[in-house]
Amino acid sequence: MSFDLFDTEKKVLEQSKILRERLNDAPEEVRQGIDVLIEAFGRSIREQSRLVKVSDRLQAQLSTLNHELTRRRAEAEQALSDLQTAQESLVQAEKLASLGALVGGVAHEINTPVGIALSCASHLADATAQMRHLYEADDIDADEFDRYMETATDSSGLILSNCRRAAALIGSFKQVAVDRTSAERRRFELGATLNETMASLGPNLRQAGHEVTIDCPPGLMMDSHPGALSQVLGNLVMNSLIHGFDPGQSGRISLTVDQPQPDQVRIVYADSGKGIPEQNRGRIFDPFFTTRRGSGGSGLGLHIVYNLVTGPLAGTIVLDSSLPGTAFVLSIPASVP
Amino acid sequence: MVSESLKIAGTERSPEIEFDFERGFLRFRGESYPEDASAVFGPVFVALDRFLAEAGGREIQAEFDLAYFNSSSAKALMNIFLRLDSAAAAGTPVSVRWLHAPDDDTMREFGEDFGEDLDHVVFTLVAADPAG
Repeated sequence: MSFDLFDTEKKVLEQSKILRERLNDAPEEVRQGIDVLIEAFGRSIREQSRLVKVSDRLQAQLSTLNHELTRRRAEAEQALSDLQTAQESLVQAEKLASLGALVGGVAHEINTPVGIALSCASHLADATAQMRHLYEADDIDADEFDRYMETATDSSGLILSNCRRAAALIGSFKQVAVDRTSAERRRFELGATLNETMASLGPNLRQAGHEVTIDCPPGLMMDSHPGALSQVLGNLVMNSLIHGFDPGQSGRISLTVDQPQPDQVRIVYADSGKGIPEQNRGRIFDPFFTTRRGSGGSGLGLHIVYNLVTGPLAGTIVLDSSLPGTAFVLSIPASVP
Repeated sequence: MVSESLKIAGTERSPEIEFDFERGFLRFRGESYPEDASAVFGPVFVALDRFLAEAGGREIQAEFDLAYFNSSSAKALMNIFLRLDSAAAAGTPVSVRWLHAPDDDTMREFGEDFGEDLDHVVFTLVAADPAG
C-alpha cells in the first residue's frame, strides 16, 4: 500500500485549482496573481518532497556508517582482548617454563650430595657386615677394629655433611620456588636471595664454565617481592647464556649492588658476552621481540623482566651500553610503596 | 461499532505501531528511518481516517515514544498531528504525549516544535527513560 506523504498538500492544490476555475470572471490581474500563487505552492510541494528525499538519503547513509563504525569498533575491541588473553597465557607459560628449568636445576644440584651420602652409607654397610661376620667368628684383631672405627667415623661424617648440604639446598630452593610461585611481599636479605637464586641457576652456569661473582653489601635488608627479583635474575641469566655467549665459550657474569640513596637499591647485572646489537637495543623489552623465533625463543623473557621490575618491584631497568658485553641497571626501592 | 485494531511490530528501522480502536489509543515506539516511510505510515493514516469517520467524536489518546526518526517520518508525523488537530478542532477530545529520554535534547526540541502547531490537542512533553 503506497501513501503519499504530501497527500494533504496536493489535495489543497487541487482545491485551489478548482477555486481558480471559478474566478474566470475576476479581473485579469487577480487571475494572474492567483495563478502565480498556485504555481508557487505546487513548486514548494515538489521542492519539499525532493528535500525530504535528499535528507532521508543522507540520514540513511549516516546510519549505515554508524552501524559499520560500531561493528568495526566491536571487532577491534574483540581482537585486542584476544591478543591480551594470548599474551597473558604466553606469559604464564613462560613462567611455568622457567619454573620447570628451576626444578631441573634443583634435581641436578641435589644429586651430588645425595649420591655421595648414598655411596658412603653403602660403604659403611659393607664394612659393618664384614665386622659382624668377624665378630660372630670371634676373630677381630685390634688393627681391624681400628680400621673399621676409622671407616665408620669418616663415612658417618661424610653422610652427615652431605645430608646437611642437601637439606640446605632443598631449603634454599624451596624458598626460591615459593617466592617464584607466589607474589608474596616480605622482608629479606638481598645478598642471601641473590646467592640462593644464582645457586639455583648453578648447573646451567657451571656446565658452560661461567664465573659468577656477587658483590652485595652484607645485611642489606629489603621489603619487597623476592620472587619477582629472583625471576628477573633468572631471565637475565638465561638471556646471557642463550644470546651473550657462544656455545663452548665461557665468560663472567657479575652482580654488583650499591645504594645511591638509603632507600634505593641499584643492582647492576653484567655479562662479558658479545652484547646486544645497536639496532635491537630499542626493542629488547617489547613483547614478542626475539632474534631466535625459529629456535624456540618466545620474545617474552625481557618483557617479563621489564614488567616485573616496573610492576611489583616498583623500579626501573635500563640497558647500560657504556660497558662491554651486556649490562642492565635495576633501580628499585628498598621498600616497595 | 469499531472493534478492529492495528498492530505493527517494530523493526530495526521502523517503529512499533499500535492502534487500539477499542480504547482509542494510538502509540508509536522505537526508531523510524524506513526505506519507504509512506509504506510504514500509510496503514496508520487509513486506520486513523476510518476511526475518525466511524468513532464519532470518541476520545483519542496518542503516545509518541520515539528515539530517532528521519525526514520523511517527520513529515508523516506532521500529517498525523494535522489530522489529530483537525479532529480536536471539530470536537473530538485528543491528547498527545510526546516522550523523550531525559538527556535527549533533540527529541525534546522536536516535541516542542510539533506541539507549537497543535492548537486544539492537549499536548504533553514527558521526560522518561526509554521503555525496555
